[in-house]
Amino acid sequence: MFLVMAVIIDLSHPAQTVHWHFFTMSVSNIVVIVLMLVVFVLAITLPFPGRRAAGRSR
Amino acid sequence: MSSGAPPEGAAPKSWTVALRERAVAALPPEKLLADEQPSYVSSWIYVFGVLSLASLGVIIASGMILALKGPGWWHFTGVGHFFNSVHLWSVELFFFVMVIHLWGKYLMAAWRGGRVRTWVTGAVAFLVAIPCTLTGYVSQQNFDAQWISTQAKDSMNAAGVGSFFNLTNFGQMYSYHVLLLPLAVVGLVVAHVLLVRKHGVVPPFELPGPAPEPVASNRPAVDAEASS
Repeated sequence: MFLVMAVIIDLSHPAQTVHWHFFTMSVSNIVVIVLMLVVFVLAITLPFPGRRAAGRSR
Repeated sequence: MSSGAPPEGAAPKSWTVALRERAVAALPPEKLLADEQPSYVSSWIYVFGVLSLASLGVIIASGMILALKGPGWWHFTGVGHFFNSVHLWSVELFFFVMVIHLWGKYLMAAWRGGRVRTWVTGAVAFLVAIPCTLTGYVSQQNFDAQWISTQAKDSMNAAGVGSFFNLTNFGQMYSYHVLLLPLAVVGLVVAHVLLVRKHGVVPPFELPGPAPEPVASNRPAVDAEASS
């Protein structure tokens, strides 16, 4: 199982980093931050299920 | 011989009674375990708050199992690796969902309407959770922990706080990680949840126009229809 995972995702190397002027960050951290921003935007834009129905019941 | 009972009609002097009365006055049962909330509580932002609590529960449970079994188990057995990973990934998830909750509450200006303590306990819980996690990295008992602790001590010394604690002292860091800092995080989270219950969640910004918000209920749908 671990061997299969190792074949799919090779982690036996130093982390890849993005350098831009003074900015330095690992790719994995950038991916997580972008993912958080995407989830946050979805959280404030997607309608909450059942909210309209609950409002009508009163 | 005195029975110790207060005279009839007089207020009891016991501190337990005073504490109970104060607690019930601040958080009556129907407020502490409410069955109705304003409709604006139906928001994904609060789902992320609850997910933070759920992640914290998994962190504590998996951490207790790791503490019970020890480093030999979490480094060298399959089940130990599993619980080690559960502990790590529940922390990752905890910060992921907690930051989204924090962003949402910041943009809602959640400290409005006398909710400053609710906001502050939540924000400080986030800040205290960071060293709680970092002490976990130096408590792994492996070369990774050695590398992190020797690098981190330089930054702590440069910041002028190196005389208060030593990141290369495993016993001290492990105590911080499994007792002092989790106690602080859990205490702050409990205070945060109780304050949310006491003051309620912050209402949306008022927009021009009529229509007060209707009330959403978590009672069964039959009740909601019957009462309408």
